[in-house]
Amino acid sequence: MLSKNARLWLGLIAITSLLSLASSCSKGGDEANDNTGPTEGAGKTYTAKNNEGTISGVVSYNGTAPENKKIDTSADSACTSKSPDLKTEEWVVADGKIANAYVYIKDGTLADGSKIGDYGKWPNMPASATLDQNGCHYHPHVLGVVVNEPISITNSDPTQHNVHFTPKNNPDWNQGQANGAPALVHKLARAEVLVPVKCNQHPWMKAYIAVSKHPFFAITEKDGSYSLKGVPPGKYTVVAWHEGGANGTEQKMDVTVAASGAAKADFTFGGTAMVQPSSWPMLEAITFPTLHNH
Amino acid sequence: MSKGVHRFAVFVACATFFLIIAGANVTSHDAGLATSDWPLSNGQVFPKMVGNLFWEHGHRMVATAVGMLTIVLAFYLQFREPRTWVKRLGWAALGAVVAQGLLGGLTVKLNLPLIVSATHATLAQLFFLITVSLAVFTSKRWIESEPLEMVEGPPVRALCVFSLAMILTQLVLGATLRHSATWDQDLPTPLLVAHICGAVVVTLVLSTTIASVVLRFRSETYLTRPAAIAACLLVVQLGLGLAAYMTRRTSPNDPQPLTPMVAVTVAHVACGALVFAATIVLTLRVFRMVRAKQAEYRLAHA
Repeated sequence: MLSKNARLWLGLIAITSLLSLASSCSKGGDEANDNTGPTEGAGKTYTAKNNEGTISGVVSYNGTAPENKKIDTSADSACTSKSPDLKTEEWVVADGKIANAYVYIKDGTLADGSKIGDYGKWPNMPASATLDQNGCHYHPHVLGVVVNEPISITNSDPTQHNVHFTPKNNPDWNQGQANGAPALVHKLARAEVLVPVKCNQHPWMKAYIAVSKHPFFAITEKDGSYSLKGVPPGKYTVVAWHEGGANGTEQKMDVTVAASGAAKADFTFGGTAMVQPSSWPMLEAITFPTLHNH
Repeated sequence: MSKGVHRFAVFVACATFFLIIAGANVTSHDAGLATSDWPLSNGQVFPKMVGNLFWEHGHRMVATAVGMLTIVLAFYLQFREPRTWVKRLGWAALGAVVAQGLLGGLTVKLNLPLIVSATHATLAQLFFLITVSLAVFTSKRWIESEPLEMVEGPPVRALCVFSLAMILTQLVLGATLRHSATWDQDLPTPLLVAHICGAVVVTLVLSTTIASVVLRFRSETYLTRPAAIAACLLVVQLGLGLAAYMTRRTSPNDPQPLTPMVAVTVAHVACGALVFAATIVLTLRVFRMVRAKQAEYRLAHA
């Protein structure tokens, strides 16, 4: 039987070992290039047949869009100086058209009977994407990538940021990034609609990254327009996702693309739903005297 | 008995309460991962305290200070306290604060897994309990107290222990609830319902305990005072709980953690710690004063 002292030392060693193990297994480590999980890029290769078509349309808002909420950036003077009138970007609506809606082909069958999900490689796969932190908000607000596409994350602000991906289908990823630090590169190995991205340093910063197995997705422009090019002839379910509401909302439409045809799919959000005011009026942030500027 | 030891123990308990407030601010501001490294913050001992790093690193600094104070207290007790079991409790407090620090580092390195974060929050409350107990044990009144006349009625010691157990269970539920969703996510309904039910149970059990103490020992302020304080804190805590629920329910619609939600949720955590502390003080004093006469009563009626 071990003595009390021996048990105490064993306990301390166990705790220290656990912490060391946790450090070595840490997901918030200093790797700049992270490629975790089995790839979903596997699958057949689609060869272009020169009869591909397009799906395009406009995403509109019916009614008066909710106002975006003012953000208090006083917690970091670098943010206030660069973005003095920062507001949330939930509703970027101009002339009844919604920007930042994610439109994509959810599933479908090609004219030859194969499923779109059977394919892992397409001729027009994007090579890389960039997510920039500028003015203490993310550019773009909604980003679409394909699985394992390198996402270059840059910090264009004179302050420290902390990028935190909080996916459901992919591993959690959290990384600090000082101003002037080299770009971080991260890949998401599994399809997911959508991965919320936040900054634990500046809690108002929010972005969404949609991960797709194929390149048929688009983010609507300020005029609400989008275009999916190079779509093989077939029947598809097209989905438009928008973040408005607690967990985002989706709309679906069945679309048929003829050989070399141009299909149209317009979506409309809004109406009586999605008016969710902030819980309290904005009050002055609590400030404490500190040694450094706060 | 050293007055200096007692005063220092009280000071450490107060500092620990301040640390609980600092820790609660980290959670309410969603600042737990404001820096992804540990024990340094962004590779520095003193980083620029902006944004949420103010809360996270501030919390680490307060925790370090409390750790240092606990080391001093453990040695102070070792050299100035005659009772061996109190010295051991001092070392147990040191062990607890070291474990708490390691848990804090672990939860950051693992990106805040629920079980580690909730354990960190719970151990914080238990460590606070130890520091409050040390303050009680080193007090002049504790050392010089006389047992009370036996009064018939429900076993008040058992009621006190049961109250403590229920409060601890409620604290665990609360800690798990708080760490299961950030400010911009809805709280999980099953945990929320469990925590609300826990509040009902704690209210019933603690109220019964308080009433039992106050009615049976009404002239003994050494017991009735912590009972009355626990009663007041319980009422405040129920109100804060309701306010915390109302602000937290709508926080997913907010652009960022807003001051009212943060203030109310932090106050709810802090008041919960005070309810726990008042109840442990009451329990310890009941055990101190009621024990001898109960033993005599049993012997007399054997």
